[in-house]
Amino acid sequence: MAAKDEKLLAVEDLVVEYTSGGSVIHAVNGVSFDLRQGETIGLVGETGAGKTTIAKTIMRILPAEQATVKNGRILLNGENLLEKKEAEMLDVRGKQISMIFQDPMTALNPVMSVGSQIAEVIALHSEVTKKEAEERALEMLRMVGITEERYDEFPFQFSGGMKQRIVIAIALACNPMLLLADEPTTALDVTIQAQVLEMINDLKAKLNTSLVLITHDLGVVAEMCDKVAVVYAGRIVEMGSKEDIFDHPSHPYTKGLFHSLPSFVLGEKRLHVIEGMPPDPSNLPEGCSFHPRCPYVTEACRSGEVPNKELTPSHYCRCRCI
Amino acid sequence: MSALIEVKNLKKYFSTPDGALHAVDDVSFGIEKTHTLGVVGESGCGKSTLGRTIIHLLDSTSGQILLDGEDITDVKGKKLHRLHERMQIVFQDPYSSLNPRMTIEDIIKEPLKHSGRFSKAELGEKVEALMEQCGIEQRLCLSYPHELDGGRRQRVGIARALALDPDFIVCDEPVSALDVSIQAQILNLLMDLQEQEGLTLMFITHDLSVVRHISNHIAVMYLGQMVEKGPAEALFQKQLHPYTKALLSAVPSIDIHNPSKRIVLKGELTSPINPKPGCRFAKRCLYACDKCKQDQELTELEPDHFVSCCRAAELSE
Repeated sequence: MAAKDEKLLAVEDLVVEYTSGGSVIHAVNGVSFDLRQGETIGLVGETGAGKTTIAKTIMRILPAEQATVKNGRILLNGENLLEKKEAEMLDVRGKQISMIFQDPMTALNPVMSVGSQIAEVIALHSEVTKKEAEERALEMLRMVGITEERYDEFPFQFSGGMKQRIVIAIALACNPMLLLADEPTTALDVTIQAQVLEMINDLKAKLNTSLVLITHDLGVVAEMCDKVAVVYAGRIVEMGSKEDIFDHPSHPYTKGLFHSLPSFVLGEKRLHVIEGMPPDPSNLPEGCSFHPRCPYVTEACRSGEVPNKELTPSHYCRCRCI
Repeated sequence: MSALIEVKNLKKYFSTPDGALHAVDDVSFGIEKTHTLGVVGESGCGKSTLGRTIIHLLDSTSGQILLDGEDITDVKGKKLHRLHERMQIVFQDPYSSLNPRMTIEDIIKEPLKHSGRFSKAELGEKVEALMEQCGIEQRLCLSYPHELDGGRRQRVGIARALALDPDFIVCDEPVSALDVSIQAQILNLLMDLQEQEGLTLMFITHDLSVVRHISNHIAVMYLGQMVEKGPAEALFQKQLHPYTKALLSAVPSIDIHNPSKRIVLKGELTSPINPKPGCRFAKRCLYACDKCKQDQELTELEPDHFVSCCRAAELSE
């Protein structure tokens, strides 16, 4: 294991494209970030920004026919996941990296009892007897706050929040080093969201798992993350510690996101808006992708590559006007 | 000021194989002209059913609905058509609430045509004006809904609702399917339109920061019942019902230096099918006592601020 740099995960200059009906969709355009053991990074951005594609690339579950990884490396403990064979990935998925999806309703097998769905992962990844796998599955159920009697029940007998707990139990059953959570609470009500977030935090502390949390909810980021990466049009436009981003948002897009929150502008009647729409990823604007919507746009923004500026050793921003 | 909409003891039950599902159970309130009532609650609490029952997309089981003082509870036939011109709805999902085979122009034109009040030339003008008012580019008039993004589709839904100059619009989670930057655009549009047209709105949402921003009054629902209602600011300053307190504290705060003290509720919603008498929140409530086994009444604890909890008075001290 890579002991000298304690990075668990390093994503380096990742470029992912989809082809659809003859046109090329530039989903991820040079994304780099890293994550230490036990750390949580939040990927924030709007629909279509490429957040989910990043997670799916790490997990190597992109649709093979449409998607190609054009460039980049994904190092997990120093090993490049992108060079692994599919057979090797089977051992990584579920054991070293797990993923939680947004919709707990469709992530579970409807015709298998929830207990055996948890036990299945355990049996697959560790040399245990059926009995031991079941015992461990029971333990996981208890850990996510579901009583053991419900082991033999089926997904339809559970509510949305309970289903998401079961999905989490499956994801954490083999103590993965890295958990990818793609909008894990977006489909849930706020009081249930509070329960699930609290539980993820507890489990993370107990198992020292690293977490990549994908969300569009800045409130969830504030409560859960150590680091934040703001994703726009397939690029990280700003990255820093939680304090960097929330206390000193620097990129015009990040500022715009904060200002468009109703809770940010108490007392003012009109909300600030980011004019325009996110760009079409098959036809990205030249220069800075945000320039058509940016209030501070200059001539220089309209062409060329935007450099990633270091504001402080932990805080980076991709904007010419800083 | 007088109330445009008044609802008295409204009930809407659905029959299910297991018994009556109490979706809306004995709800009463009024909305003053040009005001906005925000209705908040979690999925399954009956907030959408309430909105749909008021504008007669669903028949009520019992109770009374008054529009401008006139009882409209049992209106039928032609009168109901006229009534729907005055009461409209904007749906949550701009993807499924627009007919995929109709152009944007035709979608907005349809209610106008249906009313039979306009000539062909007037129809064209009216559609153009509505598109302008709702910020939809004219070049999109022959496009189909699938060619538009979520924000623009929602603008089309709003233009359609506005077509016949309604007095009252139910907005059923109109921004929940949209990204934050687009959400702000749509909220601004709704507030502008309300001011220009003197609209009365009922704004249904689960997003509490949105509701605080847009509403004059807020009503909190739990399992079909209204547990608290009051002026928006008063309710955000001081919550009287334990459920409202927990609901507000559960919203993740963006203030990283003063994280909210979260009240994490144990358990989940109980079934609304044949509910037992008594407070429906008692099972999850931190303050439940013996008195909670009786039905609770909505009482005015502070000026214009109502709560249905027998312990609210002692807890608020």
